[in-house]
Amino acid sequence: MADTTLELDLNAITEDSRKLAASIKPGKQKYDVIIVGSGAAGGMAAFQLAMAGIKVLMLEAGRMIDHRKEYRTMEWPYSSMRRTRLPPGERSIDVAEYNFDRPYGGNPVYQKNAKLNSYAGNTFTRNWVVNEKQHPTTGTPYAWVRARVMGGKTNFWGRGALRYGPLQFDAASRDGYDVDWPIRYADVKPYYDKVDVLLGCSGTMENLDTVPDGIFQRPHKLNCTEVHFKRSIAKMGRHYIPGRAGVTTEGVLNNKYRVKCMGRGHCGRGCDIGANFHSPTALVYPARDSGNLTIRPYSIVTEVLVDPAGGRATGVRVIDANTRETLDFKARVVVLGAGTLDTTRILLNSRPTTSPQGLGNSSGILGCHLSEHIMGIRGSGFIPNRIGTETTQDDARPISPYVPRFRNVTDKHPDFIRGYHFQGGGGAGEYPGVAHEIPGFGKGFKSNVRKYYPSLFSLGGFGEVLPRKENRVSLDPEIKDAWGVPVLRFDYQFGDNELKMAKDMGDTVEEMLRAAGAEDIKINRDPLPPGWSIHEIGTARMGNDPKTSVTDSTCRLHDAKNVYIADGAPFVSGGTQNTTWSILAMCWRTMDHVKERLRTKEL
Amino acid sequence: MNRRTVVKAAGAAALLPWLSDEGLFAFAQIQKASAAPALKTLSAGEFATLETLAEAILPADDRSPGAREARVAEYVDLLLSEAEDDVRSSWRAGLAALDALSQQRFGAGFARLDAANAETILGELAKNEKEPKTPLEIFFKATKNATIRGYYTSEIGIHKELRYLGNRFTPVFIGCHTEDGKDCPHCGQKAVL
Repeated sequence: MADTTLELDLNAITEDSRKLAASIKPGKQKYDVIIVGSGAAGGMAAFQLAMAGIKVLMLEAGRMIDHRKEYRTMEWPYSSMRRTRLPPGERSIDVAEYNFDRPYGGNPVYQKNAKLNSYAGNTFTRNWVVNEKQHPTTGTPYAWVRARVMGGKTNFWGRGALRYGPLQFDAASRDGYDVDWPIRYADVKPYYDKVDVLLGCSGTMENLDTVPDGIFQRPHKLNCTEVHFKRSIAKMGRHYIPGRAGVTTEGVLNNKYRVKCMGRGHCGRGCDIGANFHSPTALVYPARDSGNLTIRPYSIVTEVLVDPAGGRATGVRVIDANTRETLDFKARVVVLGAGTLDTTRILLNSRPTTSPQGLGNSSGILGCHLSEHIMGIRGSGFIPNRIGTETTQDDARPISPYVPRFRNVTDKHPDFIRGYHFQGGGGAGEYPGVAHEIPGFGKGFKSNVRKYYPSLFSLGGFGEVLPRKENRVSLDPEIKDAWGVPVLRFDYQFGDNELKMAKDMGDTVEEMLRAAGAEDIKINRDPLPPGWSIHEIGTARMGNDPKTSVTDSTCRLHDAKNVYIADGAPFVSGGTQNTTWSILAMCWRTMDHVKERLRTKEL
Repeated sequence: MNRRTVVKAAGAAALLPWLSDEGLFAFAQIQKASAAPALKTLSAGEFATLETLAEAILPADDRSPGAREARVAEYVDLLLSEAEDDVRSSWRAGLAALDALSQQRFGAGFARLDAANAETILGELAKNEKEPKTPLEIFFKATKNATIRGYYTSEIGIHKELRYLGNRFTPVFIGCHTEDGKDCPHCGQKAVL
């Protein structure tokens, strides 16, 4: 039988992308600013600059996206006989792996890339993530999820729209570990506010230091299991609040590409009505409508070009992904927003005679302090008030609720510094994963599945990985990707603080499930492989001293005064918060500096 | 369903005499519901054993049809046809071993056993399902997992059995009624503690 979910015809969009790329040659047009990448960082940078009348060239390594066709938000699993699974050879990691139901599947060889499997192994996102065979990494295992397509990872991001607060910006002042950010929450708060208003953020006012409030649109209510859990842990002094989602529930001003949330779920496949924030519909297309933004797809930036005399960037070198031509584009300013690790890779690979160790790396710390979140510690159980009840609509919303950090806020834990939060909820979802845990077979088994189905509740933790100099990436001296660019070598592992924190996460999730009277509690205490969070930050950290930092407090390279970083690479520490909303706010702030310096001709 | 997708779904339609749109649609429905499956990996005998096993794991009951009507065995056959060689051969060996056991105990293949005898055999295979050890126990657990996946991602599993209510336009999420300051009829929680 034909599998219509595999027959998505992308010929028109790839052909359009080729033609668009071929029409944009160096030297034809003058640009003020080159932006590398089109995700949250590149999109926000392009929006801010183009709307200010600045001529911008955006370089995206992948193709354009046909979001109406490719976001198959409401497709049922039974649309395909394969139920969204892919035949071998169709996956981005096409090592002929086929994770057919365990115990016959689950080949340990593929564990390293388990997270990538989950994006590359379904029919919704596989056309956006890179093929591991073309984009290998070396060193320690790291599940590095990369999307090379217009919009990058915002096409399938998790929608967690949380702010860093004083606990992150002044973390070192509180516990003496490492250094503070060179800026404070008060410096970024106005930008978070503006991002909330521009893009739409759903949430509730809670007045918590751990996750500062924003300017929120209609929040998402809790369902029955969640109300019970909230009431239960309130007695322990802990909070359980509606998730904060980068989704407009009440509409946004002046954006013809987006409408408000219709509560359909399946947001991670891409939201075909644009209620979920995606860089293309929210930022890039409106910026293009200004007439000031030129987008060149299929443009793999390999290095920043530097004038050896002045130490300033003159532009970037591009390999066209199709023709493999090398093209040098020039501009007054270069903004890197390729994602923390690819931005770092481009800088490391930019080796003018004046800085053979990589552009911006006179301190020697470019690539160090790689940080993200430790995940995998989770707990589940059945909430009694919904065992045996008829199904209700429990998941018609973009995000599940949130237990804000409670460790090392006012107290001091004896075993570890910093903290973690939990995300998760309960109720009847589309797939009853609980069935795999229920013993037996036959009518009794079937009725037990529906008995417990509406009552399943689960929480998963996100813990801060301490920034450490020895957790780093560097260029592999030998291995190159399919375009001849050196690949990243990872030297990264969780440390003692993370592992002690992970143990405490397991204990506290169990304690909270017990407080809620959950039945058949199951706790998973094993961390997922590094990289799983997709919240990587820190490899070009910001600071006031050029000897110990890569960028200044405006995310500009100390070593090249017209090169800026728009993504998470300059972030000093990442708390437990999902990263995207901070990337958007910090990028807006950085672009305000760029605009001002272009106006005063400093750039 | 438009004419083109019907023709596609019907597959063999090109060989048929001309049918009206309604006729074609009806033919596609027959194909969808009860036509003999076009097997990709398993023999007819293996398929019958697998289908019986899947139905025994998730049978029809008063609420909804079971794994047979949800065509779970066909789903497994398709995935097996695209699996690695060792996965495929493990599965075939499992089906053969199940039939052999059934033959030895009750003198007939698994697909021909009456309900009581089938339950006796499955009871043994499911005994250690948390930590299956013997090849047959491992085979049972693998088939159970695949059956769960195939059934609860089918139209029957999602709509008739679970009565899942999501994936539809819901401009405002209702949630627990206590969130609106009312006692909740679904969970019995009071608006105010």
